[in-house]
Amino acid sequence: MSERRQASLLALPAMAVFVLFSVVPLLSVARYATWRWSGTSEPVGVGAANLMRLLRDDALWQSLGTTVTFALIAMPTFLALSLVIALAIEGLRVERFVKALLFAPGLVTVGGSAIAWYLLYNPDFGVLVELTGWRLPWTTQPAAALAYVIAFTLWQQTGYGVLMVSAALKGVPREVKEAARIDGAHEREVRRFIVVPLLRPTLAFLTIVGTVLALQSYTAVYLLTRGGPFGSTRVLGYYVYETAFENFELGYGAALTLFALLVTLVVAVLQARVLVERSKRGARA
Amino acid sequence: MIVMRLITVVACVFAALPLAWLVYAAFIPAEALIAANIATFGVTLANFAALGDTGLWRAMGVSVLASGLAVTGQLAFGLGAAYAIRNGARLLGLVLLLMAIPSELLLVPLYRQLQTLSLIDTLGALIVPFLASPLVVFLLLQALRRVPWELIEAARLDGAGEGVIVARVVAPVLRPELVAAAVLAFAAHWNLVLYPRVMTTESLWTVQVFLTDLLRTRPFEWGLLGAAALVASAPILVLYVVFEKRIIATFEAGFRS
Repeated sequence: MSERRQASLLALPAMAVFVLFSVVPLLSVARYATWRWSGTSEPVGVGAANLMRLLRDDALWQSLGTTVTFALIAMPTFLALSLVIALAIEGLRVERFVKALLFAPGLVTVGGSAIAWYLLYNPDFGVLVELTGWRLPWTTQPAAALAYVIAFTLWQQTGYGVLMVSAALKGVPREVKEAARIDGAHEREVRRFIVVPLLRPTLAFLTIVGTVLALQSYTAVYLLTRGGPFGSTRVLGYYVYETAFENFELGYGAALTLFALLVTLVVAVLQARVLVERSKRGARA
Repeated sequence: MIVMRLITVVACVFAALPLAWLVYAAFIPAEALIAANIATFGVTLANFAALGDTGLWRAMGVSVLASGLAVTGQLAFGLGAAYAIRNGARLLGLVLLLMAIPSELLLVPLYRQLQTLSLIDTLGALIVPFLASPLVVFLLLQALRRVPWELIEAARLDGAGEGVIVARVVAPVLRPELVAAAVLAFAAHWNLVLYPRVMTTESLWTVQVFLTDLLRTRPFEWGLLGAAALVASAPILVLYVVFEKRIIATFEAGFRS
């Protein structure tokens, strides 16, 4: 047996896991989407009923809107904060400390983070309202609830973004900056025209990270708001979970999964295209 | 620059507040909270002692066992897969595709699959589907591309089989990357929330399911909640502090390529 074939055998265990728990489920979703099934009941075939229901499900379209809004607010904020903070602390004595502090929330386990926020910001008996009387409206006002989940996500992830940008900043050659300064460029101009353009690949990478975060925000939603109030924070992933495992409609949940997968696919393709475009333009410049 | 520094300061305060309060709540006496006198000084471990009756330690046991075994599998199987791909097996496309799909998006079809395999509500449900991770395969593959191939050729000339080469030659060389991948994979598995909530019942609750339930059943006991959150975070915290330099270096190296 050739070495290459022998080496291929080493991929078998991992591939077996991938096939059993990713590929087969992926390929079966479409079939499950034709079932009426509570999870414990015997599945009953209902044809295209679940798919038809997708089209006239207002909650689904609201949920898609929520997901897009979430992404459109969370991602640019994530990028801007990572960039601004990394630039602001570069070379300062507090740089290490700030980075460690901002990264620390990511080290608290997610359930623990939810507890920390609950203790602090709960409008009925959180510390904030006890000490300042300031009652955050995130349990009653839809917009505030979405902002709350976004703030939580940023709280968890910004440190990671700052680390990434900061690492990239270290890679900007000092001579380039020096040359611009000798040519009479202002510090602000050096940042604007030299440093930030050189960070483009990093920012592109963080855009992808940010999108994935938006698509995965269902965990934060589950922990903080359970989709409420009035479904205002019910992002797509959470709607799938709620339909299948709170309302026990797994057949329709499968149809929703199909839809969510489609959205994920579209986003991935768009992103790949943007990245390819960018790298082409970068190569030409 | 002033505005940027101001934003940084606000971000730092915002980042620190929940953490500071968590630690504070965990160590203050319950009486201080009941009297709504949170400026009381004094430190107590009573909150941690009270965790004994809550079932946290059982949940910690389940989580440590499940995450530990899952990560062990991810490293062993991931190394094999990465090595096979490095040797020409055409599986990179599949790995990248699976990386793009958040695992908890597949809850519904996974539920059916686990039912078919009789894994629902077993310890296996928390471990078997996680024995391989596309992200770990990808990270190890990136690392493998930096390993000088003469090393492996030399081992082949000495008559070593491919399995032996992976275990005896590749694994030691990739030790730093394996460590970093292990910490990341452990944290990812430890932090699963919806999956264990759906696939298991109370006797197999992981720490995350336990924490969300504790928040629901005892919402007024700040000290207890704080202590539970700290204990549940301890494993990730310890791993990270011990291996911090490795993780950051691996991150940056993987990122440059």
